Amino acid sequence: MVSNFALFVTRRAINAVITMFLLVALVFSLLHILVPSPVAMARIILGNPRASTGIINAIIKENDLNAPIYIQFYNYVVGLLHGNFGTDTFYHIPELLEIETYLPITLELVIIGQILGVLIGLYTGAIAAANRNRAPDYGMKALYLTTWSAPIFLVGFVMQLVFAYWLNLLPATEMVDPTLTAPPTVTGAPLIDSLLAGNWVYFWSALQHLILPAFAIAVIGFGLVTRLGRASMIDALDRDYVKLAYMKGLSKGKVVWGTAFRNAMIPIITLVALLFAFSVGGAVIIEDVFSYHGMGFFTVNAIYNDDYTAVLAFTIISGIAVILANFVADLLYAVADPRVRLT
Amino acid sequence: MGLSSIFDHLTRKPIRSTGKVSLGTVASTAESKEVKKGASFYLEYIRKDKPALAGMVIIGAFMVFAVFEAIMQELASVLGRPDLGWMFLPTNPLALYFNLKLEPPSLTNFPANLMGTNFQGQSILSRVLYATPHDATASVVVVGSAILIGMFLGSAAGYFGGWVDEIMMRLTDAFLALPPLVLAIAVAVVIGGGFTSLLYALMIIWWPTYARFFRAQALTLRNKPYVEAAKLSGSSSFGILVKHIIPNSVDPIIAYATLDMGTVILTYAALAFLGIGISSGYPEWGAESSQGLQFFPLQWWYSIMPGAVIAVVVIAFTLVGDRLQDLIGGRTNY
Repeated sequence: MVSNFALFVTRRAINAVITMFLLVALVFSLLHILVPSPVAMARIILGNPRASTGIINAIIKENDLNAPIYIQFYNYVVGLLHGNFGTDTFYHIPELLEIETYLPITLELVIIGQILGVLIGLYTGAIAAANRNRAPDYGMKALYLTTWSAPIFLVGFVMQLVFAYWLNLLPATEMVDPTLTAPPTVTGAPLIDSLLAGNWVYFWSALQHLILPAFAIAVIGFGLVTRLGRASMIDALDRDYVKLAYMKGLSKGKVVWGTAFRNAMIPIITLVALLFAFSVGGAVIIEDVFSYHGMGFFTVNAIYNDDYTAVLAFTIISGIAVILANFVADLLYAVADPRVRLT
Repeated sequence: MGLSSIFDHLTRKPIRSTGKVSLGTVASTAESKEVKKGASFYLEYIRKDKPALAGMVIIGAFMVFAVFEAIMQELASVLGRPDLGWMFLPTNPLALYFNLKLEPPSLTNFPANLMGTNFQGQSILSRVLYATPHDATASVVVVGSAILIGMFLGSAAGYFGGWVDEIMMRLTDAFLALPPLVLAIAVAVVIGGGFTSLLYALMIIWWPTYARFFRAQALTLRNKPYVEAAKLSGSSSFGILVKHIIPNSVDPIIAYATLDMGTVILTYAALAFLGIGISSGYPEWGAESSQGLQFFPLQWWYSIMPGAVIAVVVIAFTLVGDRLQDLIGGRTNY
């Protein structure tokens, strides 16, 4: 059994690595199909369409842009393996330094938002399934159809308006109260760092500032979980063991939450990885709306500065994050449902 | 690709284009005549559900107005009379009226102030209406091109199998590993600004999902007796693909494509919100919302109103698409 599981993990890991390689190849070839000439590429790297010929030639030489395409690709891949995402054309520092600053912040935001979203989705999905074709079911459907059809920024605006400006419950923008001194950077994620330093004031402030954007990420994504959760709950509620539970005289609540819910959870695991991809994309907008300084902020800045190396670095990083999330979801699925390991 | 589309990936059972539904019941007879019958059948089915009917009406109004407005704007530029472009709008969406700036939504000056005015005193309603052609174009062109590209690549991959299939599927894997918004940003930034290049960017990234669909369809269809019969009677592979595989794969795509048109509008709005692909002097729904950010929350209507319009249009697409999904998934009785 153990060897079976190890085989499964190995196979999935190899798959993930291949997909990552293809992702890099895709980004590279898209770039070179869209920008075929070395001169145009040098202009993009410079972020300046009116650069003089001398500077452009220097850039071409420096980046080996005249080399055959496979050598450029080789250099690119080797560079990425060394953590070289290029030099930021605007700040003139390695992209890796910026990513190290911003990535933990976004990961913290997206993961917390994701957990919230899955919880809301599971809860609403179970309620909808238990009341199939009655008012709560239609209510939930109306709710999630609305939230997944609303533009992401609108969700952010409405939440700011209601919870921050109208009810005055939470701060609307920024990551933390700017008057506080930050704890020493260990992981880069503000919540974890302040916990490690025992700085409760900072932790509390960071948490307050995190709730709204994380909740916004949960709101834009939970509908997916609701929908699949409902379908899978309905499936589970029709099973014989649920009927048996009813016949034993258990209350409806006990059957729904105790028996059916646990079995209906399994398909949700795969969904979480897909939802993660969606949330990473949504986080760009959410961070912009909430002035939350993570990868989204970094990307939006890069867009304004025509900083293409930064945008591509973000693209590759989020692709890798999504592939890893898929890998983890595969493993969790195999743990939860041993039948999967056989395939 | 948004949430709804991800969901369809997960829950799509082997698609039953030949289920209880009376369109092309015997797949071999599903030719153009049958497809036409299918269209009216779909409309009839939508009409039975009130929310879906409302969605259909909104989509109809949106599309008709967008075409009309596009013709007016085209006329305006051809005839050199820019005022034709806003002849049927409440006010001129491009002129500046600083004395009217940042007025809240009200019934005064009806209907210009219905959504309030922006920083330059322009009616937000006029600007939103003026921008409709872009969003309608984006949704139709991007989904249409994705269907076309996905249709040929996906059906070919599924039908031929082997290394063609392997290459296609690994390629779509790489595309689908990225959040679509992120990929769209990357491609759009590299291509450069402007509406047309934004359309290209969306077209480049949008087809893999459809390729997957058509591949799955082709895999189930390629062993059908009528395909074998066509093979035996000496039809070329291309002929079989175009005449038999593709026509029989299209039906289930309709529901997905309807949902997807809403997703395109959302992605387009998000890109415009980030300042990608907008040109100065032409309003965009997402860009309007983003300009309002600096007047938020005091002048809340500036950013909320354009966003709300996007939400209404996308909800309309979702309602119709969801209804069609029920039909194709066979989840309701009819």
